[in-house]
Amino acid sequence: MLTMGIDIGSAACKSLILKDGKHILSKEVFPLGTGTSGPNKVFEQALANACLEHKDLDHIMVTGYGRFTFDAADSQRSEITCHAAGMHFTMPKVRTLIDIGGQDIKILRLNERGKVESFVMNDKCAAGTGRFLEVMARVMNVRIEDLGALSMQSTEEVSISNTCTVFAESEVISKLSTGVKLPDLVAGILASVAKRVASLAFRNGVEAEVGMSGGVALNEGIINALSKELKTQILVPELCQYLGALGAAIYAGKEAL
Amino acid sequence: MSEVKDTPIESSPLPAPKPKRPLPLSRQMVNEQTAKCYAEAWAAKENGEPVGWSTAIFPQEVCEAFGVPVLYPENNAAAISAKHLGDPFIEHAEGAMGFPINICSYARLNMGMADVLDNPDYKADPAMPRPDFLLLANNSCTQLMKWYECLSEALNIPIFFVDCLFNYYEEEPAFYKVKYVRSQIENYIENMEKFLKRKLDWDKYLEVQKRSQINCQLFNEIVDLNRRTPAPMSGFDLFNYMSCLVLCRGKESTTEIFKQLKAEVEENIKNNTSTFPGEEKYRVHWEGIACWPNLGFNLKKLKEYNVNAVMNGYVTAWDVRYAPGDLDGMAKAYQTSSTNSLSTPTIMNKRVDSIKNFGCDGMLCHVNRSCKLMTFHIFVGREIVESNAHIPVANFDGDQSDTRIFSEAQFETRLQGLVEIMKEQKEGAV
Ligand code: SF4
Repeated sequence: MLTMGIDIGSAACKSLILKDGKHILSKEVFPLGTGTSGPNKVFEQALANACLEHKDLDHIMVTGYGRFTFDAADSQRSEITCHAAGMHFTMPKVRTLIDIGGQDIKILRLNERGKVESFVMNDKCAAGTGRFLEVMARVMNVRIEDLGALSMQSTEEVSISNTCTVFAESEVISKLSTGVKLPDLVAGILASVAKRVASLAFRNGVEAEVGMSGGVALNEGIINALSKELKTQILVPELCQYLGALGAAIYAGKEAL
Repeated sequence: MSEVKDTPIESSPLPAPKPKRPLPLSRQMVNEQTAKCYAEAWAAKENGEPVGWSTAIFPQEVCEAFGVPVLYPENNAAAISAKHLGDPFIEHAEGAMGFPINICSYARLNMGMADVLDNPDYKADPAMPRPDFLLLANNSCTQLMKWYECLSEALNIPIFFVDCLFNYYEEEPAFYKVKYVRSQIENYIENMEKFLKRKLDWDKYLEVQKRSQINCQLFNEIVDLNRRTPAPMSGFDLFNYMSCLVLCRGKESTTEIFKQLKAEVEENIKNNTSTFPGEEKYRVHWEGIACWPNLGFNLKKLKEYNVNAVMNGYVTAWDVRYAPGDLDGMAKAYQTSSTNSLSTPTIMNKRVDSIKNFGCDGMLCHVNRSCKLMTFHIFVGREIVESNAHIPVANFDGDQSDTRIFSEAQFETRLQGLVEIMKEQKEGAV
């Protein structure tokens, strides 16, 4: 049985093809989210990677912010349970799952079967989200994927006190104009995101093992800052970006039965 | 030519609108009662008689016995918001009047309205006439005190104030607190007699007390009928009928409405039908005030996901129960009917009991930007609910009147996530 999961986020799209609910045949990511050509691109490319055609798929499930807008989907599901299923597939010992998405932060508490016992998400505010990091990277004129490496060079973190994205942006601009070192500023920005995410995580209770999903998990600097705040190691599966799509592909298998 | 004219494509380019389901008789009666209340207030105004504005849970028995019309700004703001007519008043309050976005949106809406009452183009639906006095009890929150202080100053009218006390450690207020509130009610009656220049008819007052108890009891019985699975009512109906207790708790017309409603609900039970427009696969407990401007969207999504919010922690706030004639009992009831005056563990354990009684599979909490008192307990309280009632809880952001806070996508994701968890728990997959 071949199933595809597609995760259409606000900032990126991911897709993944699963064989018999176990073997990953193909995966694809594209840095554009819902309302763009991203969903079609990851759909076509994942098929091309595995030399498959649309008709070969038994079920396509879509998750993420743009889950209602993809016509080829057989069904859709919330990103909450999809991320949980994806994480359980890759790291079954994880009990606390943190996902920093483009506009959502999710903290899920999972049981030993990978089912969600409780979840909390951010308020309607961009602080601590992927979008916040994007805005900060842009104002510092660095690539978002370089933030982690840059923060590692910091010798003296410069703290950012504003949580509001707009005010934090002005704060960063004014700090830059006072000549602070870029790595120190980046470290401060990542620490501010980590503090925000950690406070949400504590609200839901933090139980080991703690794992992280989403593209932001590729950022070492965030992982370090978050480990410091949560006082625990954070596990990052290699497939962190694809966990939503993976979970959707797993659930697609259940629906296809 | 006549052929062309007769083709449906030519003659009806737009599909006919879906016919609306007629309102049940009880709802029509609610609308009539509300319209009558407003009409009486306007008529009194035109005759030079006094009209009051009151906080939502005030000893209404006194003015009812005096026969003085009273309207309720919180109830009025809710009605206006549900019709999406609140924005201009809120904008006026924040703009020309300078009130900050952080205060209660009912207060902003009402103060914005109060400021334009004398404008020749003042229009609202429903529109309240200019008040001559204010009735204020701080049993649901202390923000009301500043709100009414502003009104009193702006409109140059007196406030009759009943200061209720917070109950940190006890569900039953201590005797000295009861005495304190009782003495204020007595004082209020005296002052109202002076203000109106006539004496209270104590027999009438007792009658109103009796009527109020009958109405509260009837409403409780109706709410209790929703324990049945599937529920005979959409839980959101309770928000509509609850307004009778806010606006007309001491009136006989409310008794008639509740009797009619009870008969309709019993009929639903008999026929295994419901006013919930979908299939009830999940039952949730709603926490907090409704998002009035988004009520339609919320209900549409609840229906789509087969979720009936069968009960909520808000409708019991007007369950002001006491033995008629017992002033101590009345003082106690007005201090505690709103759970806002209780500690978080007390509130949440009441919710746990209700969740169990109504067989809820989950809880949906409105994190209300305006109403801090009906929101802050949610963050700690969810742990109490999860561990004592063993059900999942989801929060969403919203506001009772401010249309800028609610996000449709966020609401749907949280609801869908909750439904998926409830489904897995029901299927025993957890
Ligand atoms: S803050 Fe809440 S309790 Fe206070 S007046 Fe507003 S809605 Fe009512």
